[in-house]
Amino acid sequence: MDGYSLGIKELDAHIGGIRNGSNIMLIGPPMSGKETIINNIVHNGLQAEEAAVIVTTRESGENVLEWYNYNHLEIPLERLGIVDCVTKTLGVPTSDTPNIKRASSPVDLTGIGVKISQFLEDFWMKKNIRKTRLCINSLSTILMYSNIQTVFRFLHVFTGRVKAAGAIGIYVVEEGMHDDQAIATLKQLFDGVIEIKHDQDIHYIRIAGLGKKPSPWYEYSIEGAKISLKGGE
Amino acid sequence: MVETGIPKLDEYLHGGIPKGKSLIYMNHPGVEGDVFGMQSLYHNLLKGGTCIYITSSSNPSLVKDQFREFGWSIENYMDNLQIIDSYSSLVGDLSMEKYVVSDPEDIDSLTEVIHRAMKDVPKGSVVLYGSLSTIMDLCGEEETLKAVKLWNKLATLYEHVLIFNFTVWPYEESTLNAVKNEIFNSVISVGGIAERVIFGQYFGVLKADWTEVRAKSMLFRILRPGGIKIYIPKILVTGPFDAGKSAFVHSISTRAISVDRLGTTIALDHGHIDYKGFSADIFGTPGQERFDPIIKMISGEAMGIFLVVDSTAPKDFVRAKQMLEITKVYGLPYVIVANKQDLPGAMSPDEIRHQFNIPEDVPIVPAVATNKQGVYEAFEILVEKITGGK
Repeated sequence: MDGYSLGIKELDAHIGGIRNGSNIMLIGPPMSGKETIINNIVHNGLQAEEAAVIVTTRESGENVLEWYNYNHLEIPLERLGIVDCVTKTLGVPTSDTPNIKRASSPVDLTGIGVKISQFLEDFWMKKNIRKTRLCINSLSTILMYSNIQTVFRFLHVFTGRVKAAGAIGIYVVEEGMHDDQAIATLKQLFDGVIEIKHDQDIHYIRIAGLGKKPSPWYEYSIEGAKISLKGGE
Repeated sequence: MVETGIPKLDEYLHGGIPKGKSLIYMNHPGVEGDVFGMQSLYHNLLKGGTCIYITSSSNPSLVKDQFREFGWSIENYMDNLQIIDSYSSLVGDLSMEKYVVSDPEDIDSLTEVIHRAMKDVPKGSVVLYGSLSTIMDLCGEEETLKAVKLWNKLATLYEHVLIFNFTVWPYEESTLNAVKNEIFNSVISVGGIAERVIFGQYFGVLKADWTEVRAKSMLFRILRPGGIKIYIPKILVTGPFDAGKSAFVHSISTRAISVDRLGTTIALDHGHIDYKGFSADIFGTPGQERFDPIIKMISGEAMGIFLVVDSTAPKDFVRAKQMLEITKVYGLPYVIVANKQDLPGAMSPDEIRHQFNIPEDVPIVPAVATNKQGVYEAFEILVEKITGGK
């Protein structure tokens, strides 16, 4: 199949595939399961013989791998790259592994960019993989250390690289942490948005900007690593 | 003069950076250009110089690890290295360093600490800004450019050399113009060759106000350990049957492999060499005429050629010239390796040049590939021709 799928069948059915080169914001309130959603999207790609690069700013690279292990989701390590922006900030003596490259800190956008590029080159040139998912989890942490213009410039370059490589990029944003203007600024760089909302103890999800019109809001629940959608009215 | 320690760059800069001057590495995003500044700093520590390192995007305790990745043990030189910590306060960490910037988002606070450190160290020290772009992101573009002008004046006053790592994010055009053309004595562009992804890296001198600039870009690779090495993606080794091409490839290479049958190369030899700051991939062709059709395939995009001849077999020299014609892309530099000099009846390079009318500007290097004699000399000469050196 040309293009990409999320692996969340109701949303995939609505948009009918995501075009190569698309950049998508995943935005929702804290504790709404965004991490599970992004990890599932990565897993879905890996199952389809694609490669994935995860930039993690809240968990160490090892913890990201452990999540898959804990949830009994097999992942082909040769097609997964993790840019870990956490471990070095904790002062833990550590070195890179074939899967995990470590940036100095979330401030080190130069280093993060270099490591993303190295994984993209490795997958494209050495492993001959033509489809890659880049997931940044999360932009909100990066925005805690750098101002919006700085993050915009960084994203301007890397959303461009995603387009050039025919990859897709998914960028997690914590709702409520940034003002509307910051969100509106960032949205200029994205082709679509996966939105999550919370109402009376129920979570809802929808996707907008990638199909002719936004999908309906689906109620969803998460059990372990599994996401179940219902409704769609 | 303070050397940069980057292969070829000091030659292009006519010996390095004069005291009191500044140099900026303009690194394109995604290219590992920060290593340039680190290598320059380590090179000067090794030579007994004193250095200041300003860290803006990582904890000072990580600096040693960052250098160690390339095999550079700066812990042996800590007496000669001062670190200005312009990071810890940003993330609320306590700093153990002597020089700490209390508010990294305030350019005046940074300037005050830099000035103090510049005054404390001996004249002629090297000051490395780990990330000027981070300073610019935190303090603003205009404010940073103003401060750079002041730092440059301080450098002149104390005869220090300033080296900046700078990531070329999409800043205001006026900022990038000022960086590229106005406020630094020397500008080195460090870029990536990109199509779908970045698959090669290069550097070139854009400006050096103390010397004439040669417009030439060099491909490079970063080795761990090792740092920056000039990279030559393809050097061809060709020559008649049994001239010793495979022996030459194996002798010169750090690692090599041949596709052969009963000792005769039937597809190609491939080797990789890391030598004196250069990294190259070497491809050897088979010598027999029946393999001529594949030689053109192997020789595509080569950057230089070794023509290996058996000095005891002048009858094969006509064939050698014919092979050179098959493989040679017009104008490509080449070196003749006069092999088997240890055997009786071997012709000297002068005899070969005279008898076969070889132009004076084509180097002929006497060699015995089986014991590495002459092979590195041939490599150095060819690399000089490829990189447009002396």
